Amino acid sequence: MRKTNSIPPVESSPFPHVVVEDFLDEDALDLVVDALAGLEYSFSESDLFSYWASVKLTDIDHPAMNVLREDLGDKIWRTEVAKAFQVSKLSKIDLAAYVYGLGDFLLPHDDQVENRVIAYSLHLTPDLDEEDGGSLDLFQADQAGKSKLVKRIIPKFNSLNMFEVSETSWHQVSEILTDIQRLTLTGWYHV
Amino acid sequence: MSEINFYYLEKPTISNLNRIFESADIPFIRLSKFLSQENSNMETKLSRDEKIGFYKRNIGKAHLGNFWKSKEFLNFLKIGTGLNLKFRSSEGQSYEPGDYSLLHSEEFEKKRLVVVYDFTNNWNIEWGGHDIYTSPNKDPLICNRDSGTLMLTLLDEGDYSCTRYVSLKSESTVKIDKIIFDLE
Repeated sequence: MRKTNSIPPVESSPFPHVVVEDFLDEDALDLVVDALAGLEYSFSESDLFSYWASVKLTDIDHPAMNVLREDLGDKIWRTEVAKAFQVSKLSKIDLAAYVYGLGDFLLPHDDQVENRVIAYSLHLTPDLDEEDGGSLDLFQADQAGKSKLVKRIIPKFNSLNMFEVSETSWHQVSEILTDIQRLTLTGWYHV
Repeated sequence: MSEINFYYLEKPTISNLNRIFESADIPFIRLSKFLSQENSNMETKLSRDEKIGFYKRNIGKAHLGNFWKSKEFLNFLKIGTGLNLKFRSSEGQSYEPGDYSLLHSEEFEKKRLVVVYDFTNNWNIEWGGHDIYTSPNKDPLICNRDSGTLMLTLLDEGDYSCTRYVSLKSESTVKIDKIIFDLE
């Protein structure tokens, strides 16, 4: 189960984002990590990214996924997320698991696809350090497209990162530089 | 002035180039040790060029300057590819660790010949930095770095190109001249 029903104040720069630490309780965490370890991941790469992705977990009937969908997407939590970001009602979530290994990356992009309102990722890799890479980097870009790295978030185990999707929500997952596996559950809250 | 390796100017070679170029899925030729004499200006000052979500690199004047407009090179292109070409632009580019360009519809344009000459030294394939060309319903074309190699790629309307993200672990820099020719 979720450990909390409250969200800390959303930070506005470079675009609205927040980190909820210690999101799941230990029982839920064990269940979820075990379930994710048993999934199959396919290697995907393009000019923009390189990572291992699970199938979409949105509709899979599995005890751990059911718990997770409830914890991330039940009405109480969706209402809390909408209130924190001051957006209108959020209807549903989707989710998939991603593993980034040595050399993997996701280059800057804004996540804008129709109906996505809030992006989230639940981080499930213990003891990630800055020198491992895999940080969530938030950029500010000017009109011409020149960017400035404004914030580097080193994902903490069991933390839920969320940000509002917009034309300014430029972010990346920095290249993995050591022999680690960065595991996340990622998806979006939809309008 | 730079000079083309005599081997590439001989009739049997030219005939082979024509055959290879015409038979490829995406018309492409890769010519190693293309120049027997390379008079490049590697001191050419490049400036930072970034548009987030599109590219991050350095650009400036072509390192081989007017060679790309020379009669000798234009004549070689004409007999090597069998195409009637008109010079459009030349540019020096470099990609440092963390740099990239992406395949993007901003590049949408008519049929053109893309010429890339590679100055990149001491490259490790694991650092990325290779060129990618895509065409609908065809396998992408991957061109790895190799100093002294000339690559000719004929792109159709709707085809795209990019230079793959360069790893932060890279100990070298991708350095190329990129020249575009229009078809007459």
